[in-house]
Amino acid sequence: MPLHPRIADWFASKGWSPRPHQLAVLDSFERDAQALLIAPTGAGKTLAGFLPTLNDLTHTPREGLHTLYISPLKALAVDVARNLDAPILEMGLPVTVETRTGDTPAARRTRQRRIPPNILMTTPEQLALLLSHGDSATMFAGLRRIVLDELHSMVTNKRGELLSLDVARLASYAPALRITALSATVARPDLLRDWIATPLPDATTELLLGAAGAKPNLSILASGQHVPWAGHSTLYAVPELYEIIKQHRTTLLFVNTRSQAEMLFQNLWRINDDGLAIALHHGSLAVEQRRKVENAMVAGKLQAVVCTSTLDLGIDWGDVDLVVQVGAPKGASRMLQRIGRSNHRMDEPSKAIFVPSNRFEVLECEAALEAVEIGAQDSEQPSLGGLDVLAQHTLGMACAEPIAPLAFYDEVRRAWPYRDLDWETFERVLDFASTGGYALRAYERYAKLRKTPEGTLRIASPYYAQQYRLNVGTIIEDPTVKVRLVRARGNKTGQATGPIGRGGRVLGEIEEYFIDQLVKGDTFVFGSEVVAYEGMVETEAYVSRSNATDPKIPSYMGGKFPLSTYLADGVRKLLSDPDHWRVLPEQVADWLRLQHDVSVLPPPNSMLVETFPRGTQNYMVCYPFEGRLAHQTLGMLLTRRLERARVRPLGFVASDYSLAIWALGDFSGLIRTGRLSLDELFDEDMLGDDLESWLHESQLMRRTFRNAAIISGLIERRHPGKEKTGRQVTVSSDVIYDVLYEHEPDHILIQATRRDAARGLLDIERLGGLLKRIRHNITHKPLDRISPLAVPVLLDIGKTPIFGEAREGAMADAAEELLREALGQGEGAERGKRRVVN
Amino acid sequence: MLLTFAGQTFEPLLSGALFWRVESILLVADLHFEKFSSYARRGQMLPPYDTSLTLRRLERDLDQTRAERVVALGDSFHRDYGPDTLLDADRLRLMALLGKSHWTWISGNHDRAPHALGGVCVDVLEHRGLTLTHEPRRGTRGMVAGHLHPAAAIHANGRGTRRPCFVHDGRLLLLPAYGAGTGSLNILSPPFHGLFDYRTMEVTMIGQNRLYPVSTKRLVGGI
Repeated sequence: MPLHPRIADWFASKGWSPRPHQLAVLDSFERDAQALLIAPTGAGKTLAGFLPTLNDLTHTPREGLHTLYISPLKALAVDVARNLDAPILEMGLPVTVETRTGDTPAARRTRQRRIPPNILMTTPEQLALLLSHGDSATMFAGLRRIVLDELHSMVTNKRGELLSLDVARLASYAPALRITALSATVARPDLLRDWIATPLPDATTELLLGAAGAKPNLSILASGQHVPWAGHSTLYAVPELYEIIKQHRTTLLFVNTRSQAEMLFQNLWRINDDGLAIALHHGSLAVEQRRKVENAMVAGKLQAVVCTSTLDLGIDWGDVDLVVQVGAPKGASRMLQRIGRSNHRMDEPSKAIFVPSNRFEVLECEAALEAVEIGAQDSEQPSLGGLDVLAQHTLGMACAEPIAPLAFYDEVRRAWPYRDLDWETFERVLDFASTGGYALRAYERYAKLRKTPEGTLRIASPYYAQQYRLNVGTIIEDPTVKVRLVRARGNKTGQATGPIGRGGRVLGEIEEYFIDQLVKGDTFVFGSEVVAYEGMVETEAYVSRSNATDPKIPSYMGGKFPLSTYLADGVRKLLSDPDHWRVLPEQVADWLRLQHDVSVLPPPNSMLVETFPRGTQNYMVCYPFEGRLAHQTLGMLLTRRLERARVRPLGFVASDYSLAIWALGDFSGLIRTGRLSLDELFDEDMLGDDLESWLHESQLMRRTFRNAAIISGLIERRHPGKEKTGRQVTVSSDVIYDVLYEHEPDHILIQATRRDAARGLLDIERLGGLLKRIRHNITHKPLDRISPLAVPVLLDIGKTPIFGEAREGAMADAAEELLREALGQGEGAERGKRRVVN
Repeated sequence: MLLTFAGQTFEPLLSGALFWRVESILLVADLHFEKFSSYARRGQMLPPYDTSLTLRRLERDLDQTRAERVVALGDSFHRDYGPDTLLDADRLRLMALLGKSHWTWISGNHDRAPHALGGVCVDVLEHRGLTLTHEPRRGTRGMVAGHLHPAAAIHANGRGTRRPCFVHDGRLLLLPAYGAGTGSLNILSPPFHGLFDYRTMEVTMIGQNRLYPVSTKRLVGGI
């Protein structure tokens, strides 16, 4: 069917004509094909996604659900619904649109299941909930289209796995449906196309490319100031940033972590003599506060917003004319996304400035700038078949109707991440969902899924369906505690006695692990002010205002995104090619020239290892440029090996670029005399037994296990307000992990944990690639003293966590202190004195 | 290392047990047998191995100490019906342990009802001037108890950790929870308030391979 006259007229009345890619999507649907549309922000992607639906319903108006729109963000779904309402109203189309999110009132949700709108806008989690109801087959039977927005951002994680399973179920209910996916530019569009093709093997799936937008106008801040060696505060650039904000209408300042956002915001306000409207937006702030900022921004009342990835995705934030990336960009794709936040019209160039916070970041910014110029993308692999997600989905599907294992197996394999799932593993997941899947069959009598005489599996009790619905979803937040501002109770250090003032306002939430490390009186930045920790009261952290200007406890500032492989390559190339240094600020080029003179530059195809003495210790610094996570893993494994080789390692610190290990043994001498071989030290076999035995002790495994255990339904989510019971009564996931690992290390949940850890927190894949690349290809440079390139990572010591026997060490120290006390040696001097790490 | 309390000498073990050598008594608190299986009844299929791991700890401690008596200070079973849900293999091992030593089961808030597994079930045991019981009370001299699952969190030189611990003030001694499936509570948290005299409090934390008597000045609160 051609474009309905009513729609064509509307375009004409606006003085527009449909863009070619919008018509291409329409055309695909008319030919009964699916489409993956890749287009930059501002290209009218949303309208492209809905044009076929509007056209179809205008030609043939009908009741019931026609199109399901799924977005990664609740706010985006609401925003898109609003943007679609206007043209529908103006054209007077017979089309109903509704959203369904966690905020939708219960009555409307029930009604939506009975009488759904033509277009329903929702999120993956809400879709999973809808599909867990017995009436879902009826509700979705007539579904014609699914529109998946920002697909690239969903497929790389477990949400994408859940979404893929739910889409496979929808395809079973409505085999005639067709999928349209919208995505920003990605490195491997073919993977995304396969992802949407798999659930509907009989349909053809077309790849449509929207016209590229205008080239962005990019630069790196040409600072007159000294760019620091290390650190992430970007303090040096604050006055220059302030001037830049003044020269623009609305500036978005992106940083990588909450603490960086806090610090930058505070530093800007310190010099805000003109009283510019500068706001702060990050995930730890109270929701009302965030909404306030968003509304002020849409209303054009703000001159600048300091924000984290919370503002990364698709919502149109009004008149942003400048995007500033403060700190390392970390990945080319993320930069493109962030830059797209400015000038939400594709025919005008976006404007963005990079502000590196230290010298290595200058190199990274330069690499990112070149990547964005040529439109290069990081190649991110869609995430693969997590068994914890499948276990959750299995329970959900059993809530809707009894599962017929064979048919369900076929359906699951029509979800792209699970296309290669073997029957045996599938059966083990069913078994897990039912009784925990333990080798010792202890829980048959409590099974959650019961076999019916027909051989299907049905949910044993409505209670389990309720349990499932409370725990649905794959996003597991780090446990957080509320932060409440109270009056200080005096500044005496020492015993935590005496009442704490009560009842101040809640500033927001903070990760529990951060609070765990604090002692009364410690100061840190939160909610844009420096506060002092007062103590925990039940499940809330009490803090008071502090007059300190510098917080005592630096929060971990490197950020959670590791440097992407693509950018890492760029940095390596840039370093090794002096001709290329022209583009760098003079002070950075000088630094590299100095490195060239006293040591060597990291060669492009080999890895540089420097060894040198410093004080009473010896250092080994290597430069893999593989990102902090891979370096941490490498550090853990190398220290184990060095211990065995009796080099007596003491600790290590990892950055995105390099890894430094220090030891009592003399690296240079041991290597010279052949008692230590770098080739053997960096041999790939470290990924075998060494990895396994370290993993077992690692805290990372426990954290990863917690996520898998919650997603799979083994343990329940902590729901806010339901945490009254003490810790000794609840079962900690650490304890479960220890018990399970010790008894059944091959249990599927341990397998899933191992896989997640290898992929995520440990970055084993990248480490493996590195070890292969540098096999018999290590450039060793013994030095008399520290090299210029090694300075930044050594400056990080004391600012980032140092790995080693820290936990036992703390107890040994406290025990020694007791001994000294017993011997009557001055304990007063020690009292209250803690190493200030800032 | 040794721990002196109310004129008696004890040996705290890495497992969380306390060995009273002159009496040849092994004291253990809060075994919480069958804790995980009690969750399975409500649909949380936790690994059914906590009982077995606790039994293994007991087997090792009894082998090592050759204690003639075992006193379990309450909450030995996570639920009163715990003895019924024991898997056959675990039951046999427990029977073997009951045959090796003389057992006294003190009742706890989780397992008030006596059972017939073997040994003696009592509410309180007085021995050599000490009161062995489950729930600690303030003001009784020489009381040894469990119930609260004590753990200490400390900070020293910028590093911190949190571990189960033995804690006493000369009048009251608390044992850490022994069971493999148990959690713990910070000794500075509200449930402990008023129990101990902080001036005479002694804390022994359980490390990886050794015990650490730690300075109470380093204790920090928190969860």
